[in-house]
Amino acid sequence: MNEETKVKEPTDSVKSLWHKDTLAEIDYKARAGKHRIRGCATPRRMPNFDDLMILPGQLTRMTIDTYREDCETRTVLGKRFAKKPLVIETPVMIGGMSYGALSKEAKTALAKATSLVGTVISNGEGGILPEELENSYRQSIQVLASRMGFTKRNLEVADMLEFVYGIGAKPGLSGHLMGSKISAEVAELRKLPIGIDLHSHPRSGDSFGADDMIIKMEQMRELTNWEVPIFVKMAAGRVREDIKIAVKLGIDGIILDGCQAGTGAAPVMAADHLGIPTMPALVQAVRTLEEMGVKDEVSLIISGGIRDGADLAKALAIGADAVAIGTSALIAMGCRVCMRCHTGNCSFGIGTQNPEQRKNLDIDEAAERVANYIQAMTAEAVLLAKAAGKSKLKNMEREDLRALTLETAAMTGIPLVGSDLVIGEGFGFTANNKI
Amino acid sequence: MENLDAACYKSSELNEIIKAKMRDGLQDIVIRNSHSMHNMCVGLTGQGNITIEDSTGLYTASFMEGPRVVVEGNVGWYAGDDMMSGELIIKKNTGCNVGAYINGGTIVIYGSTGSRVGYGMKGGSIIVCGNAGRWAAQMSMGGNLIILGELGQQAGESMYKGAVFTRDTNAVNKLGGNVFLDEATPEERVMLKELFDQYEISADPSEFKVIRPATSGRHKYVLFKPVLKPKAAKKFARGGEFRE
Repeated sequence: MNEETKVKEPTDSVKSLWHKDTLAEIDYKARAGKHRIRGCATPRRMPNFDDLMILPGQLTRMTIDTYREDCETRTVLGKRFAKKPLVIETPVMIGGMSYGALSKEAKTALAKATSLVGTVISNGEGGILPEELENSYRQSIQVLASRMGFTKRNLEVADMLEFVYGIGAKPGLSGHLMGSKISAEVAELRKLPIGIDLHSHPRSGDSFGADDMIIKMEQMRELTNWEVPIFVKMAAGRVREDIKIAVKLGIDGIILDGCQAGTGAAPVMAADHLGIPTMPALVQAVRTLEEMGVKDEVSLIISGGIRDGADLAKALAIGADAVAIGTSALIAMGCRVCMRCHTGNCSFGIGTQNPEQRKNLDIDEAAERVANYIQAMTAEAVLLAKAAGKSKLKNMEREDLRALTLETAAMTGIPLVGSDLVIGEGFGFTANNKI
Repeated sequence: MENLDAACYKSSELNEIIKAKMRDGLQDIVIRNSHSMHNMCVGLTGQGNITIEDSTGLYTASFMEGPRVVVEGNVGWYAGDDMMSGELIIKKNTGCNVGAYINGGTIVIYGSTGSRVGYGMKGGSIIVCGNAGRWAAQMSMGGNLIILGELGQQAGESMYKGAVFTRDTNAVNKLGGNVFLDEATPEERVMLKELFDQYEISADPSEFKVIRPATSGRHKYVLFKPVLKPKAAKKFARGGEFRE
């Protein structure tokens, strides 16, 4: 060794518990004396649908021609009690993102996209923007604890109602909208003072518990003449128990939001440490609905980190009837996930109320990109479904799935790849080997 | 005038009958034997006078738009929630959360009411002639809540907009977060007088003060923080006994 060559000391800092981000977190709290707010979703690695593989049809299943044969994607949601269930052309809906968190241009573009592909958009907290209602193919209206911007008029235009008990990005908490985003227009729709930092209340003021909620549901049915499908939107936590209560309320469907879901602003602690991931939450929801004997009656929409046709196909195979997308739709229109949505400073014109920045989003172009994205992810799911031998997307079944890891096998009850090994709670599989 | 026996119907059937009669132009309907039925007069629209000769359960006159509903007895929780317009007159007392999310119209409670009256209210007026429980007008976004009797604790907690009128002499010690006690304006006193005259309430508007939201700017809005009191905890140091 050349004497002049210095031997570099190994540094363990990268592997240390006290890595750069942890130090930065502590520095922030030491300086500010408060918790940190962040946009988008948790950056933590969580189990997801990538840990599942789809089994292709070969000798045991006939495959369907990817390029020449049909595969139905039309989806009916909320047919348990509602006289007019929701019929959409793809099992991909646009989930609730508020006007306030998003610009008027972004909301309008998302609504226009639903008309291009034939699906439904949820308004999110803070009332329904006229431009959204005017452009949406089907409109879901959220009924939230804050009830900001909500009146009886909203019920009259709803194709679907969502009673929101929680969202995956900050379950147990409610809407956060920082003052920089409460513009005069947003404030007017929400009946709020301009520029106030908004922290909504998580408990509803017109139903304190399930017993009241049953009576409230009767009220809603009467007000909507039993026509509009009524869903409950909840964050994934105690899924089994929450689903059982939701079913007993008399709802038509459930939107289950896993902890990989996004938001315009959430305390970092909430996004990173509350709730459970989307995939295992979905399995638990399906198990519960099957236990209760209502799986075919109650529609189940899953959301939280859905990215592509593989996620869609696997979610349907596990037992979802549809998925809801949020962040991925924003990415389709240009978002680069800087995770600074809470600041209201978004040069793409998506997560901002700044008039200059809003000019950067071309509504028609953004709508087309979102529509293309939904079209493409539907086509991807169809490709996988056909390869698995399905002529209807909804015919995807859990028997088409295998788990890549022991962890996923244990969480889902789906056998490990290359074996019949089933671990833990069963999920309808009869296996030779069970641990 | 039409008399209906509520005991013969489910609430949805009864409401349908009332709606049909109002559509036919019937102005006065009297309902007997309500036996604290839930969801009475939900979603009624148009003009009419409905008198309920008994007590009602939850969600009375919710989402109502136009009519005048008088309840001779007591009323359960959530009465008048999301009401759009019209009048809900309650001769006795109510449970909690009356007038939650009300958008417009008037609710008059001649007795006392429970907690969270006017929760998230966005418009209209609620008059409570008796006492009100905790958290009156919590997170309200508009409208006027008028309380003649005693206020509960945390009155006006986190109001965004709107006003709570009170003549409770101890009101200043019962305020929630992000509100302050203010003098009523001459216009507000005129408004109070008109309401008191209209509903035959004996009260002097000049006695009333107003709880208003301190939300004129983002920096004035204060949220919960753990209160750490190192000095108070000192006595537990070095073997001091801890009692919660």
